[in-house]
Amino acid sequence: MGDSGVAVRLEKISKRLGWTWALREIGLEVERGSSVVLIGPNGAGKTTLLRLVATLLKPTAGTGEVLGSSLQGDADTIRRRTGLLSARGHLYGDLNALENLRFAAWMSGVSVDEASVRAALAKVGLDHVSEQRAREYSSGMQKRLAFATLLMRRLDLVLLDEPYASLDADGIRMVDEFVDEWRAEGGTVLLATHRRGLAVRKADRVAVLQAGRLHRYCRPDELEPADLDPQPVLPAG
Amino acid sequence: MKSSLALRTWAILWKDLLIELRTKQSFSAMVFFAALVLFLFGFAIGPDSATLARLGGGLLWIAIAFTGMLSLGRTFQSEEVAGGLDGLRMYPGEIRAIYLGKLLTNFSMLVVLEIVLVPVAVVLLQLEPWGRFPLFVGITLLGTFGFSVIGTFYASLTQHLRARELMLPLLLFPALVPVFLGAVNGTTLALAGDPLDRIGGWIRLLISFDIIFFVVCIWIFPLVLEE
Amino acid sequence: MTINDLPRPNPGRAKLLGAATLLLFAAGSAAGLFLVPADALQGEVQRLLYVHVPAAWLAMLSFFVVFVMSVLYLIQRDPKWDLLAVSAAEIGIVFTALALVLGSLWGKPTWGVWWTWDPRLTTTAIMLMIYVGYLVVRSFADDPEKRARWSAIIGIVGFVDVPIVYLSVLWWRTLHQPPSSPRSMAGEFVYVLLLNVAAFTLLYIFLMVRRYRLAIAERHVEELRLTRDDGRIT
Repeated sequence: MGDSGVAVRLEKISKRLGWTWALREIGLEVERGSSVVLIGPNGAGKTTLLRLVATLLKPTAGTGEVLGSSLQGDADTIRRRTGLLSARGHLYGDLNALENLRFAAWMSGVSVDEASVRAALAKVGLDHVSEQRAREYSSGMQKRLAFATLLMRRLDLVLLDEPYASLDADGIRMVDEFVDEWRAEGGTVLLATHRRGLAVRKADRVAVLQAGRLHRYCRPDELEPADLDPQPVLPAG
Repeated sequence: MKSSLALRTWAILWKDLLIELRTKQSFSAMVFFAALVLFLFGFAIGPDSATLARLGGGLLWIAIAFTGMLSLGRTFQSEEVAGGLDGLRMYPGEIRAIYLGKLLTNFSMLVVLEIVLVPVAVVLLQLEPWGRFPLFVGITLLGTFGFSVIGTFYASLTQHLRARELMLPLLLFPALVPVFLGAVNGTTLALAGDPLDRIGGWIRLLISFDIIFFVVCIWIFPLVLEE
Repeated sequence: MTINDLPRPNPGRAKLLGAATLLLFAAGSAAGLFLVPADALQGEVQRLLYVHVPAAWLAMLSFFVVFVMSVLYLIQRDPKWDLLAVSAAEIGIVFTALALVLGSLWGKPTWGVWWTWDPRLTTTAIMLMIYVGYLVVRSFADDPEKRARWSAIIGIVGFVDVPIVYLSVLWWRTLHQPPSSPRSMAGEFVYVLLLNVAAFTLLYIFLMVRRYRLAIAERHVEELRLTRDDGRIT
């Protein structure tokens, strides 16, 4: 196991949150080394899908495999090789960059020496502000620091939830570079965003979610204009 | 695997204590609140020093319980500010490290609070803990640990509830009756010098409670965080 | 699992059970009120015992049922265990309160006070608070799965706590006075008491059946009210 060409395989996955079905019968395959972008309006189920792949949510129905391990049974193996970057990055504002990284390394079982932490920090260009508290960072810097927590670990799959949120042009370029670099090293990327125009540039495949269902799963050039803007047009003013 | 549990527990304790250290305001406010409660007891009961000293053990523990409730309510605050528990849950390895780490954080915070509060109580309530001081300290630590064991557990359970500020004490105080009885009576006996040598029963009660609920809570904890 | 898959009790049999309960209850009350003579020492007030003891028994039985259903729910995740647990908890709270009130009514003429810090009485009151907490948590959780899981956990931890509470209160009180213990009773008293315990137990089963049906109906209404009207639930 683990050597099959599929990083994520979901079969008829449904997830009920409270009284609503957040996901309905999702079937999806993500090839190893590829990048798949989930698009869809807010509330379409993008975050739920990422959290489900990350084993943070248990599916209500259906089966799934991530990196060759079953979603139901082998959450720990999946977590060992999967990183999730949520919109807020899970950084502690009152800790500085070094401390945030050290904590992430301890928690993920990576052996830490000062040098490797500093190396990860240098890789994202934050070594000059390593003693500054994370809450004083700009959102771009916070995103860099969050990426650094992933870079320290040997991961096969990264899940990025709204990575472009509140970033300027530089920040967006930085996210793109991260995705490119990750894939150059053979990693798989699953990225969710409602900023469709930005997203499809980095995608091998695009999955369009609407109201919890997989509306379309295709190459970016096969998307129809309606897929890119599935929201109803609101009257101006 | 065991070392990973210990390491991750330590990491959470280190992280949370560091954050508390950097945001001292909330802890200082807690200490002042506890001292204020002691003052209110003085006003409610009157200045008669013999009465205050006789009730000292109970008053001290009511102050600890009320202030501890505020402290427990903040158990997951650092995670909420960072974007929720997903960050911790996403790390591989034993999920119980979250419970253990938060438990030790709450316990340490309460112990620090008590280090400040006990001298204040000694002065205000005119207590005389020095006669059986190791016993006094031991009872206080056992009681505080029992309080943290159940408190951290119920704080995890209520963190996503509406009206959790209300729900935490509502669940916690009835469950804590044995700890409260053990700690208050043990402390009172220790303060009185335990002339009849009756303190052993309370110590055994506290130890049993601590062990039973430590085992039950740590065993059930993964179900609390499930989603 | 949808709500329609839940097993429902047979209404015909429930009616039969209700009739049997009523009969046994009438017999038990008649025996307790008229058949046996009043207690030589306590007088008429002693007859309260024939309801007080069965009520306390039902309280214990209910919370044991809550515990068992909670464990079953956490193992199997079948909503029926959750609905049975909440049914048992509500019935248990009613009978705990009844036992407290009856104990208090009995205590006033006997001990001269409405309330005394007797270990059994105190533990009963704490038990009431633990299970009221159980119900309040349920009312504050909207998601049926979380509500069931969280309350099941409280049902287990609370049940483990009750005997420890009892021992600690007992310990606390024995430092001051021995706990009140029931005097040995004559044979006829015991039979009447057993008759009433049987009537109450039958009543308990009857109430469980009715309450469980109600829980299913409630769940159904909740589902209809809260399901979004856009076909996102089937």
